Amino acid sequence: MTTAREDIIGSIRRHLAASKPFDAVHREHAGGQAEAVVNTALPAENLADVGTPLDNFGSSASLLGIHFEVAANVREAAALVESVINRIGAKDIAISDSELVAESIETIETVEFTRDASTEFLFGSDLGITSAQWAIAETGTLVLEAESENHRLISLVPPVHLCLLEASKIRQTLGEVLTLTQGNLGHAMTFVTGASRTSDIELTLAIGVHGPGELHVIVLADR
Amino acid sequence: MQQLTAETFDQNARAALNDPVLHGALRNLADNFVTRRQNAIASVDDWEGLREKARAIKEETLLHLDEYLSQFVENAEKAGAKIHWARDGKEACQIVIDLVKNRDARMVVKAKSMAGEEIHLNEALERSGIEPVETDLGEWIIQLAGETPSHIVVPAIHKTKEQIADIFVEKVGIEKTDNVDVLTKTTRRILRERFAEAEVGISGVNFGVAETGTILILENEGNIRLTTSLTKTHIAVMGIEKVIPKFADLDVFLKLLPRSGTGQRLTAYQSLITGVKKNAADAGPEDVHIVLMDNGRSRMLGHPVTRQSLACIRCGACLNACPVYQQVGGHAYGSVYPGPIGAVITPQLIGISKAKQLPYASSLCGACKEVCPVKIDIPELLLHLRAEITDGTAGGSANNPERKRRFAESLAFKMYGKAWSGQFSYGLGTKAARIMQKLVVRDGKIGKASGLIAKLLPPLGAWTAWRDAPAVAPRSFREQWKDGLDKQG
Ligand code: SF4
Repeated sequence: MTTAREDIIGSIRRHLAASKPFDAVHREHAGGQAEAVVNTALPAENLADVGTPLDNFGSSASLLGIHFEVAANVREAAALVESVINRIGAKDIAISDSELVAESIETIETVEFTRDASTEFLFGSDLGITSAQWAIAETGTLVLEAESENHRLISLVPPVHLCLLEASKIRQTLGEVLTLTQGNLGHAMTFVTGASRTSDIELTLAIGVHGPGELHVIVLADR
Repeated sequence: MQQLTAETFDQNARAALNDPVLHGALRNLADNFVTRRQNAIASVDDWEGLREKARAIKEETLLHLDEYLSQFVENAEKAGAKIHWARDGKEACQIVIDLVKNRDARMVVKAKSMAGEEIHLNEALERSGIEPVETDLGEWIIQLAGETPSHIVVPAIHKTKEQIADIFVEKVGIEKTDNVDVLTKTTRRILRERFAEAEVGISGVNFGVAETGTILILENEGNIRLTTSLTKTHIAVMGIEKVIPKFADLDVFLKLLPRSGTGQRLTAYQSLITGVKKNAADAGPEDVHIVLMDNGRSRMLGHPVTRQSLACIRCGACLNACPVYQQVGGHAYGSVYPGPIGAVITPQLIGISKAKQLPYASSLCGACKEVCPVKIDIPELLLHLRAEITDGTAGGSANNPERKRRFAESLAFKMYGKAWSGQFSYGLGTKAARIMQKLVVRDGKIGKASGLIAKLLPPLGAWTAWRDAPAVAPRSFREQWKDGLDKQG
């Protein structure tokens, strides 16, 4: 008995072979339908002429309704983090194991932060604070690599996600980030572009259906 | 709700045309998606070049599908994913059920997956005593309503806010509200409980990268992230055509898919999953399973015209642009895949004899072809399938010389059809209905297509007002076809 794998691969080969005589006729009639020339490098859209990665990320972020701030240094970032905490009245706060996050909350004494939060804790939490490994300026996207930081759930389950981002990690295009990350892909990488959203009811936009309803990004300009 | 079938498209469509509530709901589609898509593609320098590229990548992949699939499998396994092969839907369902049972799970959370819908996975799970919980808002709504999706991107597009509110009152027990935010917050609250208890998550796959063994899934809501990160076992059901060669190819498809589908530059989330976690303390499933499913797909490779069907990235743009879909909605197609793409893949998936009307459920106005991000020539496919129905060649051997000759003829007919519809190509959007009407009158005279769509006309006041379209002397399908051949020389 053949396995499903053998059968499927066999069927693919058989049908591709059967298609051969038609392929030529088709190409002739269809005026040279897409010859299989594959070169995926896309022309670099000249974003660099328009603005720095940070500027471009900022404008993409604001289009998406991301709360976007630039901090000159860690001290300023801490003040911004604290003001977010105060504004939303966050009490149960989960933080990732990122060094940048640790530095940014060091001086905040008014609340407690929970590292290695359990799933139960996350479900009842008010805020998750993480950093990101990369960001994409053209789309306003944060790139989270699960093997570099334990932010897979902290960036997802709490109703508000605050992300600290080093300015030097921002790239202009998606293509650049794909090239950078391909070499050591971990088991999970997540692209985050704005808050959770849906248009499933009459195509009316609603925010925060399953993931965070608010996304804050604080960029550290000096890093 | 009684399940409609593809065999009765004409009846289904006529009923849909007489449903004013459905029209109210569908109006949003043209107003919203079509405009948003146009704005979004304006933000890309060379949209046409991008489409060409995407199509070339798909064509290359499909022509060597055996090799790319093997490469995908090798790399996914190397990264720790477990691969399963399913010849058909029944096998795929059984694999999933066995995996769920291995976990002793009685319930699974599901992220929207057209492949899952295609194989009626929910019913199969229920029959095995496993409760499937849809977590995409639109899918959850229709699951509560006991219905099927009517659109491949926004499954509950056929429902108005009022109807959805009524479902929530009845099934969830909340006070009636017309506030969409309240409805979504309620969904979040209730489904969070299900996520908290779920051990198994089931998703689809948008792209599988051969070079790295990565699967990529796009979404906006976050339910896919929850489904694939909170559970202990993640099962991804993937059609064999979802594979693409290189990681860098994602750049092309991630530029095309969200813009075409929802008019976004990028959807809110992309999950790129490459195997399984190496460190037990990390968040994420302990095991990741990928079910590679054929279910009629390899057969579509047997001909260059049908092969295009496998290039589809399920963006939904052809549905949104289609004047027929805009009027009759998704359920009339009586199939999991509605709209223009449904009209061409349903007959191929379930057998042409069970879906004979679908290739005629189009006016060949070409709007679908114009918007398709991977340049699938849907009108060509429709004509190809019509020719198969007319000639009774459906299911015949692909190597038959007689069939090859007929194929050349059908191509000639296609050319003819093109020239003939050219004079009415005013463009898309608001004019589409008008084009449709003109073409319907003419199309109405072509062989078996006759009557079918023409019959749809009377209930529609707006269309009948345009019946001043030039009438064509009735000629048989054969005559017109021959004529086309002569012009071809
Ligand atoms: S056929 Fe083209 S436009 Fe239609 S869903 Fe598929 S990719 Fe999108």
